[in-house]
This record gives sequence, structure tokens and C-alpha cells, in this order.
Amino acid sequence: MTEAAIEKGAALAGALVVGITAVIQLKNDWAARGIDASVTKILLGLMALGCVLALLAAVNVLGARA
Amino acid sequence: MATAAAAIPHGGGHAEVAARYHDVDPVYAETRDLRLLGFVLFLLSDCILFGAFIFAYIYLRVSAPAWPPFVGGHQLPWFDTSFAAFNSIVLFGSGVTMHFALENWKHLNKRKFNMWLIATIILGIGFLLGQAHEYSVVGISWAGSTMGASFFTLTGMHGFHVFVGVCFLTTLAIQANRGVYTGSKYFGLTAGTLYWHFVDVIWVALFFLFYLW
Repeated sequence: MTEAAIEKGAALAGALVVGITAVIQLKNDWAARGIDASVTKILLGLMALGCVLALLAAVNVLGARA
Repeated sequence: MATAAAAIPHGGGHAEVAARYHDVDPVYAETRDLRLLGFVLFLLSDCILFGAFIFAYIYLRVSAPAWPPFVGGHQLPWFDTSFAAFNSIVLFGSGVTMHFALENWKHLNKRKFNMWLIATIILGIGFLLGQAHEYSVVGISWAGSTMGASFFTLTGMHGFHVFVGVCFLTTLAIQANRGVYTGSKYFGLTAGTLYWHFVDVIWVALFFLFYLW
């Protein structure tokens, strides 16, 4: 197994764990009000998007160079 | 004090804030929202700083005849996506652990708060070490190409923010364990969490622009 495959495997597993956790936290905080809660929700949502990007990179859908 | 703070849901509104902070310094209660607004404005100003550099990079990239650009007759290499994906997850994971740390502080679980905060600091340091590794093997330099200049400027600026964040969180850990914060008074921890999430989100943009686009 190559070094890149190990990194992609770890990224895939991590993206699933972190992404799902971020979405669950976002869901738990959804009803919270206030500036800090609103900013946290936006940032958690964007972080979940980052996990999706990392997941797509890990499975060669994004960032795969010829 | 702690029970009352835990029972009242977190949220906005002057009445709610006043009710929540009735047991602490009234100046703190009155100024918390203003300080929070000031901190969010600071984050927005940082967004503008990164935004300016990001748009400069996009402009340079779309106006280049080829990407990666040619230097001395040879095309520069693409960045290593697989390692970047792994390192990104290290940083995103630290965002989740920081969120858990703050939640545990709100629920007055100091042991778990310390555990998650230390995990966040370790992951932040891990990300910085990953970036240092990336710099050592990337195969391009700051000078000589718009690609190298953009990459090192933006990721270096972000890395500096992560370094500041690690120092910030370490300070918060020391303060929290010295009793600076209570179950109802923890603005520093809120600010630290927002800053760390912000640093994560900036990396989402940089990860996409440099490694996936």
C-alpha cells in the first residue's frame, strides 16, 4: 500500500467521523439564538462542507490530477 | 450559581443575557454582547484580509496562460492532495474537539473540558507540523512563480493564525484552570472557540483553491 493510499484512507475515515459529528453538533445547536450561536452554526456548517471536500478528495472525485 | 446558569438556555436578547448573568459582575453582563460583537467584527476584518489575498490568487491563476505555470521551461508540480486531505481532517477534527470543550464547560464538566481542549491544542500543533512537512517536500519556492508566492503567502498567513490560535487556546486552558472563568462567565472561551472555527473555515477555502481546483 502506498503512502498516498494510507493518507487518503485516513482522510476518508476522518472526514466521515468529523463531518457526521459536525452535522450532529449543528443539529443540536440549531435552536440556539444569539450572535455567538449564529456564527458557530455558520462556521460548523462550513466545516462540514470542508469534510465533504476532503472526502471527495480522498476518493479521487476532486483534486485527481492526470 | 452553576445550576442557574446551566438551566437557562444559551441565547441572545438583553433580558435573557441579564437573567443569565445576574450572579456575576454587572459590568460583564452589560458589556458581554458588545465584546462579542467586537470579536465577530474582528473575525470579519480577518475575512476581508484573507479575501483580498484569495481574490489576488484567483486573478493570477485565471489570467495565467497555463496552470501550474511554467518556470524555466518546466511546468511546476501540482500540490499533494492526499496529504493535504489528511492534514485538513486533522484541523477540522480540532474544530469539533474545541466545540466539545466549550459544551463541556457550559455543562460544568471541567475534566472533559480539559481533555477536549488539550486534544484541540495537540491537533492544532499536528496541523502545523503537517504544514511544515508540506513546505519541506512541496518542490516549489516562494520566489520565481505566482503559484509559489500565492501558496506560501496564503498558507503561511493561515499557519500564523493557527499558531496564534494554539497560543490563545493554551492561555485559555491556563486561565480556566486558575479559576478565571466560571459556569456563567466564560467569554474568553467563547471567543477562543469562534476564533478556532474561523481558522478551520479559512482552511476549507485554501484547501479547495490550492489542492482541489
